[in-house]
Amino acid sequence: MKEKWSALMEKDGAKSVAASLLSILIGLLVGCVIVTISGLSSAALGPGAVWDGIRLVLGGILSTGRDAAGGLTFGFNPANVGNMLFRATPLILTGLSVAVAFKTGLFNIGAPGQYLMGAAATLVTALSVPTASVPAPAVWLLAFLAGILAGALWGAIPGLLKALLNINEVLACIMTNWIAANLVTWIFDGSIWRNMEENGKTGYVYKTARNGVETAKWGLDAIFPGSQVNWGIIIAIALAAAVYILMTKTTMGYELVSCGSNRHAARYAGINDRRNIVLSMAIAGALAGAAAALYYLSGNTEFYWSTYQALPAVGFNGIPVALLAASNPIAIIFTGCFMSMLNIAGQQLTNLTGFNEYITDVVIAAIVYLSAFSLLIKMMLSGRKKHRVPAADGGPAADAGKEKGGGEA
Amino acid sequence: MAEENVIEMLHITKEFPGIIANDDITLQLRRGEIHALLGENGAGKSTLMSVLFGLYQPEAGVIKKDGREVKIHNPNDATALGIGMVHQHFKLIDVFTVLDNIILGAETTRAGFLRRKEARAKVEALSQRYGLKVDLDARVEDITVGMQQRVEILKMLYRDNEILIFDEPTAVLTPQEIDELMSTMKEFAKEGKSILFISHKLNEIMAVSDRVTVLRKGRHIGTVDTGSTSKQALSDMMVGRSVQLEVRKEPARPGEAVLSVRDFCVPSKAHRRNAVDHVSFDVRAGEILCVAGIDGNGQTELIYGLTGLEKSSGGCVTLCGEDISHASIRRRGAGMSHIPEDRHKHGLVLDFTLEQNLVLQQYREKRFQTGGFINRGAVREYAQRLIEQYDVRSGQGPATVARSMSGGNQQKAIIARELDREKPLVVAVQPTRGLDVGAIEHIHGQLVAERDKGRAVLLVSLELDEVMNLSDRILVMYEGRIVGEFDPKQTDVQELGLYMAGAKRMDGEKEGKGA
Repeated sequence: MKEKWSALMEKDGAKSVAASLLSILIGLLVGCVIVTISGLSSAALGPGAVWDGIRLVLGGILSTGRDAAGGLTFGFNPANVGNMLFRATPLILTGLSVAVAFKTGLFNIGAPGQYLMGAAATLVTALSVPTASVPAPAVWLLAFLAGILAGALWGAIPGLLKALLNINEVLACIMTNWIAANLVTWIFDGSIWRNMEENGKTGYVYKTARNGVETAKWGLDAIFPGSQVNWGIIIAIALAAAVYILMTKTTMGYELVSCGSNRHAARYAGINDRRNIVLSMAIAGALAGAAAALYYLSGNTEFYWSTYQALPAVGFNGIPVALLAASNPIAIIFTGCFMSMLNIAGQQLTNLTGFNEYITDVVIAAIVYLSAFSLLIKMMLSGRKKHRVPAADGGPAADAGKEKGGGEA
Repeated sequence: MAEENVIEMLHITKEFPGIIANDDITLQLRRGEIHALLGENGAGKSTLMSVLFGLYQPEAGVIKKDGREVKIHNPNDATALGIGMVHQHFKLIDVFTVLDNIILGAETTRAGFLRRKEARAKVEALSQRYGLKVDLDARVEDITVGMQQRVEILKMLYRDNEILIFDEPTAVLTPQEIDELMSTMKEFAKEGKSILFISHKLNEIMAVSDRVTVLRKGRHIGTVDTGSTSKQALSDMMVGRSVQLEVRKEPARPGEAVLSVRDFCVPSKAHRRNAVDHVSFDVRAGEILCVAGIDGNGQTELIYGLTGLEKSSGGCVTLCGEDISHASIRRRGAGMSHIPEDRHKHGLVLDFTLEQNLVLQQYREKRFQTGGFINRGAVREYAQRLIEQYDVRSGQGPATVARSMSGGNQQKAIIARELDREKPLVVAVQPTRGLDVGAIEHIHGQLVAERDKGRAVLLVSLELDEVMNLSDRILVMYEGRIVGEFDPKQTDVQELGLYMAGAKRMDGEKEGKGA
């Protein structure tokens, strides 16, 4: 990293972080304002509840409940932190999925579909390979790989359409999302994997734990007692590191990024641009598939199979995760955790106050909205100077106007 | 009247981190004069003009209009003061019509509705008066570069600008278009408009300007009357040393054919006919073969076809004895270097660093990667060697982002990359387009050196001076065909011009069209 492989990245890095932090700050402020307004306008809540609400929006992750006197207590809450990490796992991976595509000049809005296909492949494999004859860890691995493969294939479809027929990947992704949603419903509808044992449940698939397939916890349950966290988060972090290395240190990454930055120059250099578009979308899909695999292989998460009416939010949430991180794979680890932290804060809000969790959804929405502007914020932070800094003559001055319209997304 | 200064830029200093682009520069523009601003790439010409046009704020110095001090914060202020600029890279909206582009930002409206009729009448009057022929209803993407420039000029006239800045206006024009532009500029000056003309083409400066201000490395070297100076004196002032304006080279000693092209056809994107139509020629080792012609006569497609960027539709190409008619770009690249026509589109990944760009063709070679991992140390070392050897200047050395480099240095980087690959065939398309005298001298010298090493050089150029100076053999292309072959020693620019315009063909038949 110390190698200044790209001076722009280095300089840009600080600005990206500042822009993201600003988006987050504004998002949280919006949340606080909503808590204040709804608290003061409700007879049941009042100023005291507003203060509680604000504290939970900002520091819900550290909430440890209420003391005997009814005041909120704060401190390290292992269950909260563990659950945050658990929920961050799929977010980090869908974030990576979107980021890889961004880096190569593509917009992968197809993560939800890839996620669903990954989930279906993972669950079918995990539930149907008998652990009586095949060791459970092997089944786990098989299911994990099945999820990745399914996601990769599903991602490759828009890639192929773009590479061969020059069909806009955004359109193709939206189509494949809904095809996946219906396909998955069809796969599980009437299948043997529907959960018929527990009363009152009709729309869910069995947990993989039923077949003895679960992601190992290996000590994480000791550090974060009472939470769902497992080694999935470690795998997600490892994958983020792997993506970082792939994109910045390998010839494959060099080809992918050069295709994304300037397809013509890549072609000129003999790089197969079509192959790289497909490859990029397949990697993106694989990461989204891995997100689903790790989430549902935890053993005690349930998959609602009737997906044809709604796409999984975690797929779309990969977009703000990637945007907030300016598509930097390492930063995605943190933005993914941050997004899931808000989720936990929402839970605490519901559990401990009269506010409901949807307030944190508004916070998330505000941040999502702002993260789309993070490029703009970044530009404002760097002022108009940035684009003109470098050389003295010719290029920069003439190109200044042009560059402004650009940007990665 | 002649001594009246319309614009005075006094002691302008503009700094960028790590570089002083303008260091105490004073420029005085008189009413009705054509004032040339001469300097190498990176000398600070564009920066100075950007200050005048309100794109940059200077750290020190004042700007006076008609003797009164003014502050120009943005291009709108500049426009209000009657200052207009034709940028080197045109600022037009491709999908708008010519008329809409001209009125954009200065629309006449009534109750929010455009009044195109009035605008059209005004533009038509201007266009007639100055002989600036444009098709007002054509979309900008469909018209030639020359017409796009006329649109930019009309934009300035439409806004009643009195001070006209032309930033390297001739870089993209054909010889005929350059002549037209020169006479238009003279006409403007005669009417009392003042013109600032940024260029590093000495011929044009000598032909059209009244006075010349020379900048070098951000400093004001001097302002002289064009009548009392010479090309050699100006170029020495600009470069700071004595410059070789003519290419010095020994007679070629051509060897065997390296590249053989037979009956080669490349389809046109825009039309049904072939852009390259049954073309046959050889490029021999140790010679520079130049394809001359007016832009758009199939040269671009010929090179695309030869390098594999475009599929050919017929014929046969042999490189070093190997049939490459249908080979992949990469396989062709094993035998040829390619200095592409468009350095931003094909030559560089602008968002990559210089070192990343310097290995764009070579990153897969063993020395730069082990098991798919890029060997950064080796890349850095290699980049450093090329930067030194080819004198590529940039702010942060190998880590400089290509986009931030000046055009001349971008081109030097491409040339360094391509020539260092040491392939038997060098394809160079307009290798000196938009570059200054010093850089052109350098690049020409390198191409001649390649030739002398026994490489075959295929040069495509639109500049007749370059064609005459550099080549050992000249082919003229017209409408996709080769219409003549010449020895530069036995022909002249006038004769080439006739063939380029399609008025003459080698087989003797005269055609009525063109020229």
